[in-house]
Amino acid sequence: MKKVLKSHLIALSDYFWEVPVSFREDMRVPARVLASEPLLDAILEDRSLNQLVNVACLPGILKAALVMPDVHEGYGFPIGGVAATAYPGGVISPGGIGYDINCGVRLLMSDKDLEDIRDKLEALSREFYACIPSGMGRGGMLRLSEDEMDKVLQEGAGWAVSRGYGSEEDLPFIESLGRLPDADPSKVSEFAKKRGADQLGTIGSGNHFVEIDYVDQIYDKEIAGAFGLRKNQVVVLIHTGSRGLGHQVATDYIRIMMAAMPKYHISVPDRELACLPFDSQEGQDYYKAMCAAANYAWCNREIISWEARKAWETCLGPDAGSLSLLYDVAHNIAKIETHHISGRPEKVIVHRKGATRAFAPGDLALPDSFSGTGQPVLIPGSMGTASYVLAGTEAGHELTFASCCHGAGRRLSRTAAKRQVNAPLLKQQLRDRGIFIEAGSFKGIAEEAPLAYKDIDQVVETVSNSGIAVKVARLRPVAVIKG
Amino acid sequence: MKIEFLPHTADVEMRVEGSSMEELFVAAIRGMAQVLREGGCSIRDTYPITLRIEIQAPDLTCLLIDTLSDILALSFINKAVFCEAHFTELTQNHLAAGISGYEVDGFDEEIKAVTYHGADVIQSAGSSWETRVIFDI
Repeated sequence: MKKVLKSHLIALSDYFWEVPVSFREDMRVPARVLASEPLLDAILEDRSLNQLVNVACLPGILKAALVMPDVHEGYGFPIGGVAATAYPGGVISPGGIGYDINCGVRLLMSDKDLEDIRDKLEALSREFYACIPSGMGRGGMLRLSEDEMDKVLQEGAGWAVSRGYGSEEDLPFIESLGRLPDADPSKVSEFAKKRGADQLGTIGSGNHFVEIDYVDQIYDKEIAGAFGLRKNQVVVLIHTGSRGLGHQVATDYIRIMMAAMPKYHISVPDRELACLPFDSQEGQDYYKAMCAAANYAWCNREIISWEARKAWETCLGPDAGSLSLLYDVAHNIAKIETHHISGRPEKVIVHRKGATRAFAPGDLALPDSFSGTGQPVLIPGSMGTASYVLAGTEAGHELTFASCCHGAGRRLSRTAAKRQVNAPLLKQQLRDRGIFIEAGSFKGIAEEAPLAYKDIDQVVETVSNSGIAVKVARLRPVAVIKG
Repeated sequence: MKIEFLPHTADVEMRVEGSSMEELFVAAIRGMAQVLREGGCSIRDTYPITLRIEIQAPDLTCLLIDTLSDILALSFINKAVFCEAHFTELTQNHLAAGISGYEVDGFDEEIKAVTYHGADVIQSAGSSWETRVIFDI
């Protein structure tokens, strides 16, 4: 299959590039890339745009298949991809959501400034590491019975609140209020439930983390003020997902869909693109299982917040103050949303795989406090580098199905990172820059070293300059807890 | 049997080879064990945990990936890694086997999933069986 080259691309603007439908005869819509030219050149080095062209061939896909500037090669769909399909007859594809269903990010805001806690950072990082289980296949403090598991899958973050492991005040500030009502636990396999039975309240490994950051720069004072962010304020950033339960749901349904595709006369160029009509029995089963896994992930991040708050109070004592939730966003999920297709509002199935929802000001799905600002969009950087808070815009609604990037995007293999990085030295160098790292292994530190990732600043500049999101604040890490 | 690990941007890619279909499957199982736990199967002589698996798949490549996926789930559920397979049946689309392994106190890598991406079980001219397998990490 011919590789997408720069010469195949049409520049729609300084930040939008298009592979036209004439590139391959099975394309149903164009494939569009949101990137500055230097980022585009880097993107063209791997096969992510060929994967995007494959996505543009899916039955029922609408308008365009899109990738964000942090895109990199994935399985079937590229990571950083967005695709909307017709509701209810278009396809749903587990590969368009990814194995880590509802992997996402949340930001807790303290009322402390960096100077208030600077001398307690080492103790705080140790306490966070002790209170928040991380690492490979490591279980948490809860072991769910079958009945309780089904309740978690139905109730999402609300389950944690009802059991005393969360805060009622958090719920309005979680995407979809921390619960997708279409979840059906009976569509989640026993394998998946068993894998998730002891993993609530755990981060896992890989690029997942809990960070203590401070607000290093404010770009938009008005929006930052409405969000409750101010310069030098200490915040806590949490990045994880649905753990083994979500991984198993994706595995189970890719297998089911592959077997069922011939029945619906669907064939795809890559098995990981397996998909079925949303309104088919198997499509509905997957959607309901995916919603259940998404609820598990929101419950997980709520419990991790409870653990973080406990560590915060233990370390800072009676003057600790609160850690209030700014927002919690998913970046691996499918949602039913309304978007403009050929000038008319239509319900569509939006797949986001490594892309963050970014609703514009006035969207009714947002809490009242964000009605004038747009949705907070949280973009975590790599270990030791900046993270960003942005806000959704009307332009994003029109151009990217209200979606934004989700991180820096990997550029080096884990093996290459391990070869190039001296982990104990990196840990010391970060320490010298005032960043405490608590990790399960030096291997984990080497694999997630900043040099393994693209430059987050360039990625965020691109989304900001393109108008799909507004830059609000930059965060700098002072303590990183990893598996 | 041969197991080698290749560079991959985000995840872990391995190439496995066996002189028979059975040997290819065991190589893939052992390769996955090596990713999950440093030293994998080479640090043990005995494998006290035994489980039975049975898998039906549309073709041989899917059968291998689905087998690894089920063994991965069993590894996490039982906190164990698996190293051997004793096949009672292995055809192009059906496998029945006893798998054996040992308990671990943790994993060195958390594999999210065994992907179909790039996997293609083929029999080479020299009649050995081979494929690549990419693990989503």
